Amino acid sequence: MLIIGERINASNRLVAEAIVARNEGYIIELAKAQTDAGADFIDVNVGTGNQSQQAQMASMEWAVEVVQAATNKPLAIDSDFPGVIEAAMQKYKGEEVMINSVNAEAEKLETIGPLIAGRPVRLVALAMGAEGIPRGVDERLAACKAIMNQLTRFDIKEEQVYFDPLVLPVSVDSGQASITLKTIERIKVKYPQAKTVVGLSNISYGLPSRKLVNRTFLVMAAHAGLDAAILDPLDARTMSLIKAADVLTEKDPQCRRYIRAHRKGVLVT
Amino acid sequence: MSEDITSLIKENVIQGRVTADDEGMDEGLVGQPGVTELVEQALADGVSVADIINKGLTAGMSVVGEKFEAKEYFIPDMLASAEAVGNAMEILEPYLTQSGISAKGTILVATVKGDLHDIGKNIVSILLRGAGYIVKDLGNDVEPQAIVEAVRAEKPQFLGLSALLTSTMVHMGETIQALKDNDLRDSVKVVIGGAPVSEDFARSIGADGYGADGFQAVAVVESLSAA
Repeated sequence: MLIIGERINASNRLVAEAIVARNEGYIIELAKAQTDAGADFIDVNVGTGNQSQQAQMASMEWAVEVVQAATNKPLAIDSDFPGVIEAAMQKYKGEEVMINSVNAEAEKLETIGPLIAGRPVRLVALAMGAEGIPRGVDERLAACKAIMNQLTRFDIKEEQVYFDPLVLPVSVDSGQASITLKTIERIKVKYPQAKTVVGLSNISYGLPSRKLVNRTFLVMAAHAGLDAAILDPLDARTMSLIKAADVLTEKDPQCRRYIRAHRKGVLVT
Repeated sequence: MSEDITSLIKENVIQGRVTADDEGMDEGLVGQPGVTELVEQALADGVSVADIINKGLTAGMSVVGEKFEAKEYFIPDMLASAEAVGNAMEILEPYLTQSGISAKGTILVATVKGDLHDIGKNIVSILLRGAGYIVKDLGNDVEPQAIVEAVRAEKPQFLGLSALLTSTMVHMGETIQALKDNDLRDSVKVVIGGAPVSEDFARSIGADGYGADGFQAVAVVESLSAA
């Protein structure tokens, strides 16, 4: 499974403070720790919720430079604002990159599509429109279809797309885990070249011992065909579960990566 | 006897048991009567509707609120209890007028135009029902004009508006403006909520109140009722 390290996200208060104060050291440390822990991509989200788009663009440009200097891993450029993503891409060095995210809103696709055309960018596409997260599987698939129709206009290929089936809390609606899992399965059937990605933590909102629910759900999603996850790679137990799940879902031929992790002593049983 | 059954109702509200088939917070309760059966029994025994509500339902729900506040109860616990009270209120509704008790008031709720998110609105609805209000749910993605028509037809005391997106919260202000344009603004108290919404935002669009979570929403409505 592809791991996108989630730690550099301004929704965390300490990260937000470091970004606002331009505290390079704190951000560099998070980038390095996630790289060492096995993240394949380092997510960068500077949205503090109360800053203007202009301020976020400046923060993003700064953060992209700082993080790229600290790690050889590619970044996942994460913002709700297409303008902020555009600013990041202008600073970005290297071919490999993930953009997080678009949805079925035409406006977003119009800005971000041209940034990707003809480049090997991986694009996270949320299975929703401007109105938010649809309750059911069919509506989420309809959003995927609308997105795919638009993307082909920009010469973006199916294999570049990481569909996010979206996750709502089971504490308020116990059917939600299975809706996400079914959406993953349906996406894999309908768009066999496309990948799937989720951010896990929403599933356990409102419950005690949230990590237990998150990890269990991750394993179930792996079985449903999940290709990538946005999570905390510094959580060694979760990373170990992923290594075992990769073996069990035929993503680790001859169990080589699993055994290597064992030899390094990083598996938590 | 009446003491016993009202305290059993209270206990089962705290346990979050709608019917005898439900598990409770504690183990081993399946098969014992739940709030629905107990309320029907209490009515058959001639217990007053006021006692059922005050000593049973409301007393139970206030304990649930305290436990949720203290983080002893989680969202599913709170929802189960509120559902039990909501069901009980439905059973009691026909008896309310004849026993001289009126429901606390009617509240229309809606997630505003362009927004599909109804989880928060649904939780608030359940809690308001649990607190003894009649809740009419207009659904999600509701146009300002449809809300205006519903306010005109239903004549509620309260209107609750919900939005989860920064792009849709503006429609709360538009809805309030539409009420003004139709001379209905003074007929109804408007309360709002949702993740991007704040007290300041509520004031800026001329809403009457703001609730940060479900229990606060109920508290705001209660305080506006008293005012």
